[in-house]
Amino acid sequence: MLTCDEYLTPTSLDEAFAAMAAHRGRHRLIAGGTDILPWAREGRAGDVDVPVLIDITRISELTERKVAAGRVRVGAATPIQRFLDDKAIATAMPCMPRCAIWFADDQIREQATIGGNLANASPAADGVPPLLAHAAGVELASKRDGRLMRRLLPLNKFILGSGKTALADDEIMIAIECDALPGYGGSFEKVGHRRSLVISVVCLAGLVKLDASRRRFEDVRLALGGVCPVPQRLTEVENFLRGAAIDSGRLERAAAMPLDFVQSRTRREYRREVVHGFVMRGLINALRRAGADADVLKPELEAAYA
Amino acid sequence: MPDLRIDAIINGRKVSRTAKPWQRLIDFLREDLHLTGTKEGCGAGECGTCSVFVDGVLVKSCLMPVAKAQGARIDTVESLGRNELSVLQKAFHKAGASQCGYCIPGMVMAATSALRANPFADREEIKERLGGNVCRCTGYQKIVDAVELARDVVNGRISATALEEEETADGRFIGANVRRLDAPSKVSGALKYAGDMVMANMLHVQVLRSPHAHARIVSLDISEAAAMDGVEAVITSEDVPGVDGFGVFVHDQPVMARGKVRYVGEAVAAVAAEDVVTARRALAKIKVVYEPLPAVFSVEEALRPGAPVLHDYAPDNVTKHIPVRVGDVARGFAESDLIVEQVYETQAVEHAYLEPEAGLAHVDADGVVTIQSPSQNITHHRHMLARILALPINKVRMIMSPVGGGFGGKEDMIYQGMLAILAIKTRRPVRLVFTREESIASTAKRHPSKTTLKMGLTLDGRIRAVEFNMVCDGGAYGLSTEGVMRKAAILGAGPYNIPNLKMDTYGIYTNNTPSGAFRSFGALQAQFATESHLDICAERLGIDPFEIRRINAMRPGSKTHTKQPLKSASLLAALKAVAQASGWEKGPPTSRGEARRDLGGPGNRPSCTLGSRIDGAPGQARDEVA
Repeated sequence: MLTCDEYLTPTSLDEAFAAMAAHRGRHRLIAGGTDILPWAREGRAGDVDVPVLIDITRISELTERKVAAGRVRVGAATPIQRFLDDKAIATAMPCMPRCAIWFADDQIREQATIGGNLANASPAADGVPPLLAHAAGVELASKRDGRLMRRLLPLNKFILGSGKTALADDEIMIAIECDALPGYGGSFEKVGHRRSLVISVVCLAGLVKLDASRRRFEDVRLALGGVCPVPQRLTEVENFLRGAAIDSGRLERAAAMPLDFVQSRTRREYRREVVHGFVMRGLINALRRAGADADVLKPELEAAYA
Repeated sequence: MPDLRIDAIINGRKVSRTAKPWQRLIDFLREDLHLTGTKEGCGAGECGTCSVFVDGVLVKSCLMPVAKAQGARIDTVESLGRNELSVLQKAFHKAGASQCGYCIPGMVMAATSALRANPFADREEIKERLGGNVCRCTGYQKIVDAVELARDVVNGRISATALEEEETADGRFIGANVRRLDAPSKVSGALKYAGDMVMANMLHVQVLRSPHAHARIVSLDISEAAAMDGVEAVITSEDVPGVDGFGVFVHDQPVMARGKVRYVGEAVAAVAAEDVVTARRALAKIKVVYEPLPAVFSVEEALRPGAPVLHDYAPDNVTKHIPVRVGDVARGFAESDLIVEQVYETQAVEHAYLEPEAGLAHVDADGVVTIQSPSQNITHHRHMLARILALPINKVRMIMSPVGGGFGGKEDMIYQGMLAILAIKTRRPVRLVFTREESIASTAKRHPSKTTLKMGLTLDGRIRAVEFNMVCDGGAYGLSTEGVMRKAAILGAGPYNIPNLKMDTYGIYTNNTPSGAFRSFGALQAQFATESHLDICAERLGIDPFEIRRINAMRPGSKTHTKQPLKSASLLAALKAVAQASGWEKGPPTSRGEARRDLGGPGNRPSCTLGSRIDGAPGQARDEVA
């Protein structure tokens, strides 16, 4: 079980930084709590005593959401459920609602935060591939010498490995920023042992934009999780498709491209097979949702994969 | 340790109290406010039994620090149907959706949330929205039926009379749809399971468990733990007053490890303290020196000559061997046209009842030690406890608390002895509630099995001989192993006429988690082998798998393998019904392709998908009502 001597709930960044400074080395930040509470149990970390827990979810800047001037800004303490039910965010981030519906379950989506999902840095974190596909950045803040310092790190520079991030001891994750991509078709494919409350064995986020003819890829973004220490963009596959005519053969060649970063220690062959299927399915689903003409792909291809 | 101040509106009432900073909302609700309709099934957000509304939004209270409840409006299952059951609760009652009832308050909460979010949710969406809640009894169908029934009543699609008890014709109950008498107490969350019960001045028990599979206890020092503030008693095997041994058939298991430990998770010592945190901290102060011993982790290792011995009384590590002999198998194989031999293995299975083990014990005014626990075998437990406690039987009382799922897993007396000894020692009520992890690590599993099955048949599909050898991993203690082996031997060859049968089942001691009773009690493992084997034989003979079973089926007048004459036999009727309900395509197993012809057709479930809320047409259901 998780025990603490003090549980602090600051309502402003200043208060939070003051608490962190006062309890340096004895504190841990907590947001939704849905990772840390199960972690402090038998079989994982066991009984854990953290002298001071600092809850950052009541700092208003951490729950603000804004879509403006082609950018999305989402506070780090935003519950995952908002990606499903906030229309403005869902329009600007077309694969996020589909990621959210696969995330944990109805209850936990209201508790777990997007910032927590990133800070926990699980190789199977469902929130990471869609944000990588959105080329998201993470805003971190600290107070050094009485001055509020902010830095924006690209997500792939923030997550450094399984459970490792660039977050410094005196920093708080404030927000996630990314391009708004309305008009893109989005997809999120996931497989685990069951439907709800399951860690991804493989997950894939897809974003596709069509050109004016609706028969050609203008942009393609794919990112994969669950198969390597840090989720990855499929840059080569994206480049192979970007600007190309949409065609069944090209899709099949894209999905067959070697994916040497499938590094999981277990069930590697199975995961490779799933990745192949997910690249196909993710692209087909994103294409449909982007409004591609019904006849651009062979019907049997859609039947087989989507 | 500065306490937190919690001001909240809970079930419509203002609550202002202090709370410990580490408490979770579930602790505050259950332990401080005694709102025990909110259950703890896993403590890790996996099961949904703890679901409550916080500011109108359903969350899992085991994952929510209580500090987050400051200023919030909280509604638990007790807020629903205060004067009369809610429509959903009535629908759960009507549809027979509650069995053990432990998951049901959480299910009712999730269903309430689902219908609030979309009063027109279709079956697929209901399933999605209930995805965070686990049930082990119902298979979910009746729960989803209940939610659909409630939805239709609320939307006026059907009359509210549909929630009422159906009249039975001429007072006949067989075949009638009868509501369960205990369902209202379960759908309302009012029913108290052992872990929900409290007594004045009650202590909390925690158990120190072995980290070793097989080790000698060199020394066990409880002095520092016993001296801690808030600790009332620490007990070890030295505190057992009577004959220290229990088990269903052989009393080979001590209340706490005596001299050595035989599996990871075995109880070594127990602490009774003023609160759970103090008890857990005391466990960390108990000093045990172990000398690891060679261990056996499979039946093959355990049966090898010179293998480490678990129990002195069984130097060959055999817990029980049950033989059954009919006819002459050598002659039967000689008469056979086809002989097929295969090996079948099954693995350990956890019961995973939603209610983790729990018990409450006290010594009453007349000196009667009284234990309440969800035991599936109270009379036997009572007899064993009297011996263990060296008390006359009339000074020991076992009360069966509501069983929040058992499936056989609560037949074995794993922890009641510790509770009784602590109640006697402290003269205070004591309560132990297992964590989910503790339940999985320390209590019985389904026996892993390995079966070598040899069957001889004639070309027309008649079984002439069966040689059946099943070896089961019984784990570190006997528990129900003997009975499980007996049932496997009696039923394992299936409801088939077999003129020549040589059947042997063995339960073997290993240093794995003990195996015990689990639904079907050994017949499942054995019949998995027999039924799989019949399919293989049908394929080899080019016979339809249903047909090979019909050919060999026991009929009225048949004798079972243990010579019981059958006055009635329903196998043929059952086969007919199954063939019809499954849409069976006739013919030998080789006559079909790799996929069923009716895949994706009516009566078949679609593959797993999610997102009906995104992709579904939300207007559709509403139009239908309008």
